[in-house]
Amino acid sequence: MNVATPGLQTVGQRSARKDAVPKTTGAATYTVDVSFPGMLQAKVLRSPHAHARIVSIDASAARGMPGVHAVITRDDLDGLNPTYGYFIKDQPIVAIDRVRYIGDAVAAVAAETERQAVAALEQITVDYELLPTVATVEDAMADSAPELFEEEPMGIVPAYGQGASGVRRLGRNNCYRFSYRTGDASAFDACDHVFEDRFVFSRDQHFHLEPFVTVARMDGDVIELWTSTQNPFPLRKELARVFQYPENRIRVRVPYLGAGYGAKNNCKTEPIAILLARKSGRPVRFCMTTEECFLTQSQHAAILDVKTGVMADGTFVARSGRILLDSGAYSDASPLVAEKAGYRLPGPYRWQHLDIDCDCILTNTTPAGPYRGFGGTQAAWASESQIDIIARALGRDPFDLRMQNVKSLGEAYVPGESAIDSDLRAGLQVVADRAGYDRRTSGDGRGMGVSVGFKDAGGVNKPAQARVRITTTGGVYLECGTVEIGQGIHTAMSQIVAELLSTSPERVVYPELNTDYTPFDQGTNASSAIIVMGQAVQQATLEARQKVLEFAARELDCGIDEIELDDWSIRKGNETHPLAPMIMRYYGGTGYEFSGAGFFKPAMDHAAPLETQCVSWEFGWGVAEVDVDRETGLVKLVQLVVSGDAGRAINPLVCRGQDEGSAIMGLTGVLFPCMVYDGAVLMNGNGLDYRVPLATDIPDGFVSILQEQGHGPGPFGAKSIGEGCMLPVASAIANAVEDAIGVRIRELPLTPERVLAAIDQAAG
Amino acid sequence: MSGELAFVSCKVNGIAREFHVRPEEMLIDVLRDRLALTGTKLSCDLGACGACTVLMDGKPVSSCGTFAWQASGADITTIEGLAAADGTLDPVQRAFVENSAFQCGYCTPGMIMLARALLDRNPSPDRDEIRTWMGANICRCTGYGMIIEAVENAASALREAAE
Repeated sequence: MNVATPGLQTVGQRSARKDAVPKTTGAATYTVDVSFPGMLQAKVLRSPHAHARIVSIDASAARGMPGVHAVITRDDLDGLNPTYGYFIKDQPIVAIDRVRYIGDAVAAVAAETERQAVAALEQITVDYELLPTVATVEDAMADSAPELFEEEPMGIVPAYGQGASGVRRLGRNNCYRFSYRTGDASAFDACDHVFEDRFVFSRDQHFHLEPFVTVARMDGDVIELWTSTQNPFPLRKELARVFQYPENRIRVRVPYLGAGYGAKNNCKTEPIAILLARKSGRPVRFCMTTEECFLTQSQHAAILDVKTGVMADGTFVARSGRILLDSGAYSDASPLVAEKAGYRLPGPYRWQHLDIDCDCILTNTTPAGPYRGFGGTQAAWASESQIDIIARALGRDPFDLRMQNVKSLGEAYVPGESAIDSDLRAGLQVVADRAGYDRRTSGDGRGMGVSVGFKDAGGVNKPAQARVRITTTGGVYLECGTVEIGQGIHTAMSQIVAELLSTSPERVVYPELNTDYTPFDQGTNASSAIIVMGQAVQQATLEARQKVLEFAARELDCGIDEIELDDWSIRKGNETHPLAPMIMRYYGGTGYEFSGAGFFKPAMDHAAPLETQCVSWEFGWGVAEVDVDRETGLVKLVQLVVSGDAGRAINPLVCRGQDEGSAIMGLTGVLFPCMVYDGAVLMNGNGLDYRVPLATDIPDGFVSILQEQGHGPGPFGAKSIGEGCMLPVASAIANAVEDAIGVRIRELPLTPERVLAAIDQAAG
Repeated sequence: MSGELAFVSCKVNGIAREFHVRPEEMLIDVLRDRLALTGTKLSCDLGACGACTVLMDGKPVSSCGTFAWQASGADITTIEGLAAADGTLDPVQRAFVENSAFQCGYCTPGMIMLARALLDRNPSPDRDEIRTWMGANICRCTGYGMIIEAVENAASALREAAE
């Protein structure tokens, strides 16, 4: 499928990653490795109760413990805006009036060693008055349920465009509803068949191997942080609000990240580390344990009721949906996830009418937040499962039914939206051919299922700035705020810059991210780096290049169209003029730096449902083949074929890593237990009990195929690739299970117990 | 408290080292905090994820689950001890570089040490043997395919070098 790339020297090369040597030799510095003389270690006292009022806290004994330099409780929040969040600021640095889940932070200690800090925590006494607990969304929505927040926390509803809206506090523990409507509800009346199904999605935990970690210190009056974050600039803004401090006196530095998958957006370890550093006057390191990470952030569990009307010939007509997201104890990113889950529920299909509500329900469990796929995983699970249900009911092949209804390249997603920028039919054909879909065995325990994963990529109204500086001798600084979180963005961006400057990527360096110097970026999320920041980087590079060419043309007394840049020389006809001596002749012996600035942001557009048109559409096509053991309920994956469209692969090795990594991450929510709760108690929140895919869980039939369809908005036609292949996995497997044993399972994960129960139920 | 300290004499990356360690001090604490060998990473702290894998007398061990005193008399190799002094990468490291067998890199030192231990035992493992062996450690980023290919390639590079 690879498009020929004549003339490209660097883009498309499978070159080794820029971070390869540091990461394979142990030299790469992560936040966990940052250390200072006199640095203290922070530990947090966490609530043992799922829901309780704090009657009193006595931390006086802790303050006198050996090695202790600072203790914080709710009594130490004076002068702060002590709560944070995305749209809704409801999560306190430490609990104020009550605790809302097991693990809620109550107090924190900074001591010379972790052991001293833990010993001091044991001296803090807290009197709790227990409150009724709501562990599930059903419990939380019941008329008799206690409200987690009796008063409305500070917050906003963002502006929405055509068809979309948001509302806060709509019902009991309902912190946000996103709605999207288009067309006329009467479209359902004309349908020959209407299908109504409930799908249930469990919750995975990111289990990023580097925990949440921050080192904070005061540098004069500057709050300086080294922190494992995906979005340093929004974090800086939120910390400035919480600490009532000027943004330019908060310095966020981001070393290498030991992954995040969404979890490392916004405040985690930062506020407590800063507060302890200010109180103690010492550098403070707050590094959570893996167990604490499980009590800090998770994916959203969801209940999705989907109603779909179709014609007898299989034409899709109308869809309505009601999604309930389990938001856990604080709103966190739930309103944003709701926006995406709701907006993505239609899938990339033609509809006359859509009517979708997605509600965020607070429960006394770990707060749910951003997780790779960002609501799209939940939406695709329901949408793509139901398409197979419809196909079977109509006696149609599920692959054919998708081919009939899927949008074409260039068709707007919904009214006011941008055009679909991949050929979905071609993409689906690629995975079906590879998996041998036409020759598949169906029944007797073996089956195959297809699915189309889809999401809007690039975030909403997301600005990005970049700067490129070129030294006298042709060394290039690429200054941009995209975090190297593992996705390989340093490598891909360097290849783009090198291509545009007709030089080698080895000349490009990517300085450490420091909000004092690095140009602004809204965050490393939403599959936005290559299509949003990539455009800013491209513009910055071209501006710098133009300045170099204008300078050289002036020096050589010729027109700019007579010369070309060639690895920091100027080619003019058959002549080669090295740039360094030319620069030093003009600017003096110490030389000069050429620089270029770049900026990208999608235009505001009230006709677009989310106020800007989507920058690009990300797809992941999947086919799963399974063996189902009717005796044990065990689902064995025989094949998993996934494919994403990179538009143009800047580095195919890096793209492959994203496709395969996201698909296997998606497998966690399908064939592994996920987060198991007994009431409000998390039963498996540690690295030993929490099962994630291992090398031994990956079948030989796991394959990724990289497509380069060439229609992306990024440099050289590039598209996002980081999340797509996660999206089809769950539904492809459930569809394969039905193909194998004739039993439809609507609840994840597909554990042997659940599969057996479904087999028994189907047998009546 | 000094009476509780245990004397440990061991080799780390070929250099003789001596420590007085507390009974509860783990090998990873000694490596990271006392020797500044921060390439070894702590993650689950339960010996489950393998991010902290180092070689102890050639055997892969979780340094988070190994007491420092257990290293007495042992020969420890960490990720920092794998490349030659002049920076020439070990064939396993080179294969991880060439196959792009890492993403965030946090599990990578442990993965490389694990793979090195396999190839020291069995220079010609088949794909299933590699998968089973590498199944000891967790990587949340890659989906494992590129790691397994890197180990295959490292094995053939080592065999070629031996011939």
